[in-house]
Amino acid sequence: MDNSLLVSLSHQLAAYRAMDVIANNIANVSTPGFKREAAKFEEFVTMMRPAEGQTGLQPVSFVKDAGVMRDTSQGNLEQTGATYDVAIAGNGFFQVQTPNGMRYTRDGHFSLDNNGNVVTSQGYPVQGDGGAITVAPTDGQVIIAPDGTISSVLNGVTNLLGKFKVVDFPSTTAMAKQGSNLYSTDQTPTVPATVNVRQGAVEASNVQPVIEISHMIEVMRAYEATASLSKSQEDMMRQAINQLGQMPS
Amino acid sequence: MRALSIASTGMLAQQTNVEVIANNLANMNTTGFKQQRAEFADLLYQNIQTPGSQTSDQGTYAPNGIQLGAGVRTAAVYRVLTQGDLKSTGNPYDVAIQGSGFFRVQQADGTDAYSRSGNFSLSPQGQLVTQNGLVIQPGIAIPQNTISVTINSQGQVNATVAGQNTPQTVGQLELTRFPNEAGLNAIGDNLYLETPGSGSPQAGVPGSTGYGTIQQGFLETSNVNSVDEITSLITAQRAYEMNSKVISAADQMLQNTARLGSS
Repeated sequence: MDNSLLVSLSHQLAAYRAMDVIANNIANVSTPGFKREAAKFEEFVTMMRPAEGQTGLQPVSFVKDAGVMRDTSQGNLEQTGATYDVAIAGNGFFQVQTPNGMRYTRDGHFSLDNNGNVVTSQGYPVQGDGGAITVAPTDGQVIIAPDGTISSVLNGVTNLLGKFKVVDFPSTTAMAKQGSNLYSTDQTPTVPATVNVRQGAVEASNVQPVIEISHMIEVMRAYEATASLSKSQEDMMRQAINQLGQMPS
Repeated sequence: MRALSIASTGMLAQQTNVEVIANNLANMNTTGFKQQRAEFADLLYQNIQTPGSQTSDQGTYAPNGIQLGAGVRTAAVYRVLTQGDLKSTGNPYDVAIQGSGFFRVQQADGTDAYSRSGNFSLSPQGQLVTQNGLVIQPGIAIPQNTISVTINSQGQVNATVAGQNTPQTVGQLELTRFPNEAGLNAIGDNLYLETPGSGSPQAGVPGSTGYGTIQQGFLETSNVNSVDEITSLITAQRAYEMNSKVISAADQMLQNTARLGSS
């Protein structure tokens, strides 16, 4: 079997994967706190037996997945005006207690549950410095300061309710996505030098439609080019078989 | 090819988004209506190479993994419970809540429902009722031959009857709060029901700690901001279009594949 067909095949598989990653980015264009990803590929060189007229093993390079690179840049802060919507400007993650252990998120759309705890949209309690943060219905107006301190103001009296625990990690790209805007990691959380949160805003997805669509076209065209390469190789083989197989007259 | 199904989850999500926006715009002039927003979350990931996995015996780790996402889902459609503007109507039975709380009304089946809409009227029996004829709880009866009715900011209802100089107190409006007001179940007709997510109702007098005050002669308009909604609509429409572009691109790739085998 000719190597060139296998080389094209390796690229076609890579293009499928690149397309899947782009599709997931575009599907999540309005997911709060979503970070866009890009498929990265690398050359995989293998030695093949020589063709006619060559001596020694010949290198042939295939394409293989190297990883999915995550772009952790800041998303736009979208104003919502809701009291419990909090966006992180800069580094850091909110810490969320889930039944499967501690998870981290940048999606700051929180609300209160029936016990007055601040929870995510799945109902998991958001962690403050001393566990869950609880707000009583009679607490008055809730104010969240840029450093994450949450307090209530009633008749001019300020009452401290807690402080959002914002943590950072040595490598944020090595955190695994768990779906539902949550991340998990084995790394030990660090305390970011500065915490800057905004009340009444949510961090939008950092997917840039123009970039994604142009990547998509690029992948599609590259796929087409490889497909036509495979096609011409196939034609060549067919011709060779047909011509060689003809009975000499 | 996964891109097809991923893009279809994106189109579904944007469709939900447009539906929520359409409902907000349709209720722009609904008394006491609270704007809704759709919130999205990413779906599960398939781990081909877990991020942070070891790449050699020397303790080197992959800084990036290979995680393939499966698209997006609607995580919640939540209500933004900010105060709506107060519109003056001059009608004595129009009351608006300035601040937190809901009016409690009794439904036909005897259970309680809650409402922010304060455009009340009188029933044939002189009871204070909503536009659907549901009685406000606790019941307030306005005596016959009443010349004027005043409701103060603490919700006290005073009526002046013909032939008398001093107004008499005929009832007290009550407000109800919930630990999580966004967890109430909207059933239409501007009514909400208590759910396990909202927590149990806590009744109180208007103007007391944590409760709003009453404004007679005003109605609370919806808190829908038309500029916001139209901008969201444009964004949602474009996002929908982009997802459909992904589907056609993936389709084109598959067509190319199908052509490979043909002569």
